[in-house]
Amino acid sequence: MNTKMATVVKKVRHRKILENIFGIPHFDLFAIVSYVIPLAYIFIFLIVPLAEMLKIAFTYNGAFSLHWFKSIFSQEFYISPKPQGSLYVDTPQYIYVEGLDFGVILNSLIVAMFVTLLATLIGVTLAYVMYRYTFPGKSIFRVLLIVPLLMTPFVNAYVVKLIFRENGIFNWILHDLIGILPKPIRIDGLVGVMIAQAIAYYPIVYLNTYASFVNIDPSLEEQAENLGSRGFKLLRTITLPLALPGIAAGATLTFIFSLEDLGAPIAFHSASIAKKLITYQIYDKFLSETGYRSPEIAALAIILLALSLLAFALIRKYVSLRQYAMMSKGGRWYVRTVKPKWWQYVIIYTIVLPLVLFTITPQIGVILLAFSKEWSRTPYPRGFTLQHISQIALDPSVRRYVINSITYAFTAILIIVVISVMASYVSNRFRGVLSPIVEALTVFPLAVPGIVIAIGYFYFFASITPKTSVLNPLSVSFNPGPILIIAYSIRRMPFTARSIYAGIQQVHASLEEAAMNLGSTRWRAVMGILVPLIAMNVLGGAMLSFVYAMSETSVSITIGSLEMSKAPMTAYMRDLIVSAAGSAHMAAALGFILIAVQISAIILSTIITKQRYAFIGIT
Amino acid sequence: MITLVTVKIDRVVKRFGEIVALKGVSLEIKHGELFTLLGPSGCGKTTLLRIIAGLEYPDEGRVYFDGSDVTDLKTYERGAVLVFQNYALWPHMTVYENIAYGLKIRKIPRDEIKERVKRALELVKLEGYEDRYPTQLSGGQQQRVALARALAVQPKLLLLDEPLSNLDAKLRIEMRSEIKRIQRELDITVIYVTHDQEEAMALSDRVAVMNFGVIEQVGTPREIYQRPKTKFVADFMGKNNILPAKILEIKNGRATLEVLGHRISGIPAENILGDYSDLYFSIRPEKVSLTPFEGAQAFEGRVDLVEYYGFFVEIVIKIKDVFFFVRVPDLKEPLKQGDNIKVYFNPRDVILLQE
Ligand SMILES: Nc1ncnc2c1ncn2[C@@H]1O[C@H](COP(=O)(O)OP(=O)(O)OP(=O)(O)O)[C@@H](O)[C@H]1O
Ligand SMILES: [Mg+2]
Repeated sequence: MNTKMATVVKKVRHRKILENIFGIPHFDLFAIVSYVIPLAYIFIFLIVPLAEMLKIAFTYNGAFSLHWFKSIFSQEFYISPKPQGSLYVDTPQYIYVEGLDFGVILNSLIVAMFVTLLATLIGVTLAYVMYRYTFPGKSIFRVLLIVPLLMTPFVNAYVVKLIFRENGIFNWILHDLIGILPKPIRIDGLVGVMIAQAIAYYPIVYLNTYASFVNIDPSLEEQAENLGSRGFKLLRTITLPLALPGIAAGATLTFIFSLEDLGAPIAFHSASIAKKLITYQIYDKFLSETGYRSPEIAALAIILLALSLLAFALIRKYVSLRQYAMMSKGGRWYVRTVKPKWWQYVIIYTIVLPLVLFTITPQIGVILLAFSKEWSRTPYPRGFTLQHISQIALDPSVRRYVINSITYAFTAILIIVVISVMASYVSNRFRGVLSPIVEALTVFPLAVPGIVIAIGYFYFFASITPKTSVLNPLSVSFNPGPILIIAYSIRRMPFTARSIYAGIQQVHASLEEAAMNLGSTRWRAVMGILVPLIAMNVLGGAMLSFVYAMSETSVSITIGSLEMSKAPMTAYMRDLIVSAAGSAHMAAALGFILIAVQISAIILSTIITKQRYAFIGIT
Repeated sequence: MITLVTVKIDRVVKRFGEIVALKGVSLEIKHGELFTLLGPSGCGKTTLLRIIAGLEYPDEGRVYFDGSDVTDLKTYERGAVLVFQNYALWPHMTVYENIAYGLKIRKIPRDEIKERVKRALELVKLEGYEDRYPTQLSGGQQQRVALARALAVQPKLLLLDEPLSNLDAKLRIEMRSEIKRIQRELDITVIYVTHDQEEAMALSDRVAVMNFGVIEQVGTPREIYQRPKTKFVADFMGKNNILPAKILEIKNGRATLEVLGHRISGIPAENILGDYSDLYFSIRPEKVSLTPFEGAQAFEGRVDLVEYYGFFVEIVIKIKDVFFFVRVPDLKEPLKQGDNIKVYFNPRDVILLQE
C-alpha cells in the first residue's frame, strides 16, 4: 500500500517536472525530440565553439587571466582616444578624406555608430515618404528600393570606392559637370567603408520601419488629428513613437551588421586605415597565424562579440517592452496616404529620388563592371564584353565556385528548415522553462559576428577532430564543405526561424488539438495540419536564408579559403578583389550571378507566397 | 467660451467601392441637443459620424456647422471631437498623457491641464489610473479613458461612437446618465451612435433610425416608439407584433382588416401609414390585455410559453403558426402550455405599416 502510494507520488512528481521543463502534460516523444535536436545542434555548433574561444582568450600561462584583454586595452593600436591623422588632406589635385584613426576598437564603434545614424536617417525618411504620400512614380520608387538589398560582397564596396575616386563619377558630376565642388574630393579609408555600409544597410531600417508604419492602427492618427494635432506635431508625438520598435530593430541590426562587416574593409584595404577595424584585424591575424591558436585573436573576437551582443540585448529588451500589440477592435485597416504639398513634391523629386538613385549605384556599378573591359581611369566603364560571364559558365575552374556555393547553401537550408520547424513549434506551442530558451537560441546567431564564428569553428574543429581528418582545418586533406554547411546553417537560421515562428503564431493551436483529440498523433497533426498551413512561411524564410547563405563572407573567406578547390564563390571573389585591378571585372561577374539568384528568389517568393517581399527583422 | 453648434447634413452620399454606405442622408441637429443615430450593425452610423468629424469626405452632399459649410475643413480644423468605436488609445502614452494630449495641442496652461485631466477621470470614475498604460486596462476601462480624453477638451460638438458598448450593464446605465448630465452641464451638442434601442430611448432628445445607409425616421424617442413610420422602425424599436394584414373596407375614417384569419375593425384611418396595399398590422405587446373591455378587438390562440421577467410577464401565444407576444404586469391565474386563450386590444393602438 505504502509503496504504491510512493510510486503514484513519484509519477506525479515526474509529470510535474516534465511539465515545468518542456511545458507538455504527458511524455511525448515527438515533442521532446523537437526540443532536443535544435537545442543540441545550436549548442554544439554555436555555444561550444564560442566557449572554446572564451577559454583560449581567458587563459595565460595555463591559468585564468585577463592578460590578453589588458594587453589589448593598453595598446594605442587598439584604443587611442587622441586620434591620429587629419580630417582631410589637401593635395594639389584633390582633397583626400579617409577618416581619423582612434584605434581599432574605437574605429569599429565609431564607424558602426555613424553608419547606424546615416542608415536610420535615410531609412526612416524613405519609409515615411513611402508610407504617407502618394505621388507619380511611387511604384518605381518601390522597385528601386529593393535594389540596395541585393548583396554583392566586396564588389559593391569596390564600386563605391570607384565612384569616389578623384576621377570617379561623383567628382565628374559635381566638379567637372556642375562645378559645385571647387576641387575633387577623394573618399577612401574609414569614410569610404562608412558610406558603402550605410547604403548597403539602410534598406534594413527602411523595411522594418515601413512595416511598423503600416501596422499602425489608422484610428490612432485619426484621433490625434481629430483632437487638433497635425503635420510635424502628429509625426513627432504619434506616428514616430508608434513606429519606434521597428526603427530601433532596424537600427540595431544595422549596427551589428556594420560591426561585423568584412566586405567593405577588404574592398578598401589599400588605404591602410581601413584595416584598422576589429573584423579586419581578426581576419588579418587569422591569415598570418594560421595553425596557431592565438589568444589575442580570440580575445579580440570576444570583444567584438560582446559589443554586438550588447546591442542585441538592448534591442531585444526594448522591443519586447514596447511591442505595441495594436489594440484594434472594429476598426478598419487601411493605410492613410495623402498627396504631397507642392514643397513636398519638390523634396521628393529633388532630394529623395536622387538619394535613392545614389544608393543603387553599387548594384548598377557591379553590373557595368561585369560587362565592361576597363574601368579605371575614366568616370564610367568602357568596352562591352560578355567574356567574364561566359568564363563563369565555361571555365570549370571558375564554375566550380558557383557550384560549391549552391551546394553548400542548399544543404544548409535543408538543415535550417528542419531545425526551425521543430524549434518554432515547441517554443510557440509549449510553455516550459526550455521554450523561451529554444526561441532565443534560434535568433541568437544574428548577434554573433561571422568572423567570430569563423575563428570559433577553426579552434573547435581543429581541437575535436583527429589531425588527419578531412574535417580538421589543419590537415592536408581538409575539406571545408561540411564546416561551411554547418556555418551557413547556423548563421542564416534566424531568417527562416522567425518567418516560421510568425507563421505558427497565426495558426491557432486548437487546429492541431482538434486533430489529436480525434485520435491523431502529435507528429501526424503537425505534419498533416500545421506544416501545410505554414508552407508559405517556410518557403519565404528558406528563400531568404538561401540568398544570404550564398553571399556569406566571413566564414567563406577564412575557413573556406583554406582549400580553394572546395571554396565557395565569395572566397574567390575576395581573391579577385584584392589582386590586380583588372580582376575586379570577374568578381563583378560573380556578383552579377548573385544578383540574378537573389532576383529569382524574390520573384519566386513574390509569386508563390504573394507577399510583397520578405525581409529581415527581429521581432 | 463655448459656442453651441448646429449640424446640418445635406444629402450626403458615401460609397466604398461597390458598397453604398450612405445613400443620401439629410439631418438637422439643433443647438445643445443629444442626438442619437440608431441602427443595426453596418448601416452606416460610423461612416456618417466620421463624415461629421471630417475624417471621411462625402462623395456627394455637404456638411454645415452653424450654417457654414465645413465639408472641406480638415478634422483638426473642425473641433468636432470623436470618441472612436475602437477607443484609439495611444499605446505609447499613459492614461494621463492620453487625456492631456488634446489639451496640450490647445496650449492650455500646465496647471489647468492637471486639473482638467483629474476632473475628466473623476467623471468616468477612474481616479488614480493616471500612470497606467492602455494595455494595463480592461476593455471597459479603456473605453472610459477614451471618453475622458474627449470630455477633457470640452468640445463644442462631441461625437460618440458606441462609447459604452464594452461596459457591464450597471456601469453602462450609470455612464449614460453621466453623459447626459455632462451634456446638460456643458451645454454642448452631442451626436451619439448606438445600436442599442433602449440606450437610445433613455438618453436622447431625438433619435434618427438608420437602415442600410438610409434614415428611416427622425423624432423624439416617444414619437419613434409610438408612431414608427416604417416596418423596420417598428421592428427595431423594442418588441413588437408585426403581422401581414389586408384591408377589407374603410368607412367613416375607420378601417376593417383581416389579420391571421381574424376580422379586426375600428382602426383609425390616420394610423394607416403608407398606401393601402401590402400592409402590416402592428401592436406593442404591452398594449394587449387578457381581460376584455369596452370596444376591444380580440385574437384567439393557444399558449406556447410563459416567461417571467419581474416587472412584467410575457406570454407567447401561437395564432395559426405565428407567434404573438403579450406583456402583462402579472397573471391572476396560472397558464399552461396548450391552453386556449383570448387576448384583447384597443384598435386605436394598432398601426398599419408598409415594408
Ligand atoms: N473604409 C471602408 N472600406 C470599405 N467599406 C467600408 C468602409 N467603411 C465602411 N464600409 C462599409 O460601409 C458600411 C457601413 O459601415 P459603418 O462602419 O458606417 O457601419 P456601422 O453602422 O457603424 O456598423 P457597426 O454598428 O457595426 O459599427 C458597411 O457595409 C461597411 O462594410
Ligand atoms: Mg460603427
